[in-house]
Amino acid sequence: MIRRTPAGLFLHDLKNRGLSAWTLSLLLIAFYGILYFGQYYWTPDSPCTDNASCYSEGAVCEAGACVRESQLERGQDWLYRTATVHIDELGWKLGASVDAATRPDGTLARDENKNGVIDNWEHFGNRWTIYGLLYTLGILLGGAWICFKYRHNRYQIIRTGVVMMVQTSFAFSLPILLKFFHKPEYYFSYMWPLKIDYLDPRNFAYYGEGLVLWGFFASLAVVPVMTLLYGKRWYCSWVCGCGGLANTFGEPWRHLSNKSSNAWKFEKVAIYTVMGVAFFSTALWFASAVLPESSSLHAAATGTRKWYGLVVTASLSGAIGTGLYPIGGTRVWCRNFCPMAAFLGIIQKLGRFRIRVKKEMCISCGLCSKYCEMGIDVRSYAQAGLSFTRAACVGCGLCAEVCPRGVLRLENSAKVDPQELSLVSFLDESWKGASSSVPAKI
Amino acid sequence: MKIVIVGNGVAGVTCAMTARQRDPHAEITIVGGETDYFFSRTALMYSFMDRMTRRDLEPYERKAYAEQRIALLRDWVIDHHADAKTVHLSSGTTLHYDKLVLALGATPNRFGWEGINDVKDGLVHFVSMQDLDACERLTPTTREAIVVGGGLIGIELVESLLHHGVKVTFLIREPYYWPLALGREEGDIVTEQLRAHGVQVRYMEEMKRIEVDAAGRVSGVLTNKGETIPCQMLGICVGVRPSIDRLKAFTDPPQLSRGVVVDETLQSSLPDVFACGDCAEIQPIEGRSYVEMIWYSAKRQGRHVAANLFGDQLRYAPPIFFNSSKFFEVEYTTVGEVMSLPEGTPTLFRKHPTKPLCQRILHNGDRVLGFNMLGSRWNHEILERWIRERRSPAWVVAHLADAQFDVEFGRANLASCIQRELPLAKELAR
Ligand SMILES: Cc1cc2nc3c(=O)[nH]c(=O)nc-3n(C[C@H](O)[C@H](O)[C@H](O)COP(=O)(O)OP(=O)(O)OC[C@H]3O[C@@H](n4cnc5c(N)ncnc54)[C@H](O)[C@@H]3O)c2cc1C
Ligand code: SF4
Ligand code: SF4
Repeated sequence: MIRRTPAGLFLHDLKNRGLSAWTLSLLLIAFYGILYFGQYYWTPDSPCTDNASCYSEGAVCEAGACVRESQLERGQDWLYRTATVHIDELGWKLGASVDAATRPDGTLARDENKNGVIDNWEHFGNRWTIYGLLYTLGILLGGAWICFKYRHNRYQIIRTGVVMMVQTSFAFSLPILLKFFHKPEYYFSYMWPLKIDYLDPRNFAYYGEGLVLWGFFASLAVVPVMTLLYGKRWYCSWVCGCGGLANTFGEPWRHLSNKSSNAWKFEKVAIYTVMGVAFFSTALWFASAVLPESSSLHAAATGTRKWYGLVVTASLSGAIGTGLYPIGGTRVWCRNFCPMAAFLGIIQKLGRFRIRVKKEMCISCGLCSKYCEMGIDVRSYAQAGLSFTRAACVGCGLCAEVCPRGVLRLENSAKVDPQELSLVSFLDESWKGASSSVPAKI
Repeated sequence: MKIVIVGNGVAGVTCAMTARQRDPHAEITIVGGETDYFFSRTALMYSFMDRMTRRDLEPYERKAYAEQRIALLRDWVIDHHADAKTVHLSSGTTLHYDKLVLALGATPNRFGWEGINDVKDGLVHFVSMQDLDACERLTPTTREAIVVGGGLIGIELVESLLHHGVKVTFLIREPYYWPLALGREEGDIVTEQLRAHGVQVRYMEEMKRIEVDAAGRVSGVLTNKGETIPCQMLGICVGVRPSIDRLKAFTDPPQLSRGVVVDETLQSSLPDVFACGDCAEIQPIEGRSYVEMIWYSAKRQGRHVAANLFGDQLRYAPPIFFNSSKFFEVEYTTVGEVMSLPEGTPTLFRKHPTKPLCQRILHNGDRVLGFNMLGSRWNHEILERWIRERRSPAWVVAHLADAQFDVEFGRANLASCIQRELPLAKELAR
């Protein structure tokens, strides 16, 4: 777009942290705020006579008003099940099934509602469904744009096509259908530890044996094997909805990721911290489910679940992750906080994926670094002639696409990995360690 | 040891970084007059096209220089005393050195066109950061521009101007685009690209006179065909030459010819004075002197000088030539002897019937000599190896796919290329 036309000026502003970008970012954050927290604080207490009249709000009747404290309690379950219509919301809507949905001890039971099909249409107007629809539209429209923009690059077309398909099927239509037929709502495109509650023993009764087994199999077998063979890209830029939105709708802002070595230091601390918390929480939940009844263990498990939902899922992945697209680039969540990305990244370092660098062909132009959404300073490897595997790399392939000298290529190769595998290389990942911004080899 | 490096381009900075790795205690200073920090000259066009900010052009983080204890001075070196071992800066500072490295880079050529002395504004080159400033300043008031010189820098300037919605006329003296490196067929593919993007390409047409308006700004160009083409901006991209003009005024200049004359250890005629990069003219003991004006050579020479500063006496030898470029969407890779081969050299020319995709394999009947590949990506390391291994043309054609470097799923379809024997036709003007 030509910068001197009004449209060009506006686009330039929007894509380069101008006023319009900040405005959009604030709007997005506000949107997420309302989406996650709005209902609890903004719906006025309505008068009632018994609990039944508060079902529609998901509250209980206390002293003549529908009280939302209990709603807040339950609501925080929602937070940690991002973007889904929660079973108890469904339960509240359907009235009759509310007791079946939430057991007295707070665990969730499989929805046993046998009401007529007509009732089920209600949840199509539900805000999570609308959010899901918007999200899917973002991926489809953005994806179509990507397929056009990079029409000369078949890797981009195929990758984007798969992301669009996975989003419309596994991440949108299938869960709605499952709900419609009173099956547990399950997103086959998400896995533990991203969808951390899939391996939370308290949900096992709700999901049923089949899905729980699949959850274990997917997270502990499919994920590592696929990642060893193809790198984390098979998930992060081919399947995952977070990555999907970043690579489609987020395209105009991909270059905003911070490439400084300080940003990299922050990334390493932040992402492995979240991963640690996710692993620890899961362990705690198992402990509280398996070990003999202990009220302090139970309280700790409930506490981590709430806080994990509030901080990691709602704030970091939703409001910050997507809300900051126009300011911090598209992968703020994926790069700094996603426990799945951290987990996959470590496996990727052991596997076959790497970015191959042609020797001495790089002209240090920096386009690859600029357009790397993960903030990897690709140029620093390319100009030193070093092929590399960075834990953060999601294999989007854009560095190879934009390189004007054809220096880079994504590949899976059984050849010896060019990077050493030591604790130091895990922490520093290359020459670009804490103390120096210059490679050992220039 | 005190090392003073003049020029903060890729040659100078690579030399400094390599020297630091060699010696943790050396005192290293880089003096550069153009910018505060080393930037990638090759990426000027991406900054002009708004794809990158100026800061993005810097290959190293700014703090790297402090971490490596390399002092940066933004200044011009205007004099040199060989006996005292000092250089003098335009600010009046004097620096003493034990070893001096000249990495001065290149300056755009200008010839004595009629009217050039009347030009006060509107004339640009596309080599330095100041050129980029001028281009950005002039573009908003430019509807039509003329770019003179059908080489790599010229086509980059053309592409950048098009991006800003400027109507561009491209004046090229030769009969087709870049005969220095491309065969006729490749040149025609580039011409198609240029025309498809709306460029008025005029071959065998040269600038005769520059016209200016009342304020002294370029207003048009008279060509050797007698036509005056209006323009508000004139880009002159007719090659570069080593930046040795300042050296001529030095008290003790090293021996100069086309560039700073150095031997194979990259040492100049003066003791402890070295040169590398675009400004160095290398004079081997036998054979003709040469100047290498490409990025990776500047880097190699910079590393090389760094070793020789410490007394290594390594002799510089250029590798089998390779390079790559991009003409709009069409990528170009070349390996081996292509530039220097005479007209009529036998080639296997392979072209896709519809796409801008072709490969030219130059050979002497017996073994391959070079490659000119357009429209897809190639691994020059493999092509280079085949030249070294003296592979036959038939063997190379059979194994060509092994050297492809296209994106996954996106391999160019070599099978559909039609192959024929074709002697290299350069058709150079004059
Ligand atoms: C637009 C453009 C595109 C290019 N694209 C490619 C490409 O795609 N591939 C490729 O291989 N090559 C390319 N080149 C060529 C490549 O940029 C050069 O070969 C390379 O930059 C040479 O590096 P250098 O360090 O020798 O000189 P330079 O980068 O020119 O650096 C020399 C520096 O020294 C400074 N200096 C000179 N004299 C003095 C003095 N007396 N005092 C203080 N400072 C001084 C100069 O101002 C300059 O900043 C391109 C060049 C241009 C202009
Ligand atoms: S390094 Fe390349 S492939 Fe990996 S995330 Fe960055 S741009 Fe994508
Ligand atoms: S885009 Fe290509 S040429 Fe430019 S710095 Fe990256 S690898 Fe080097």
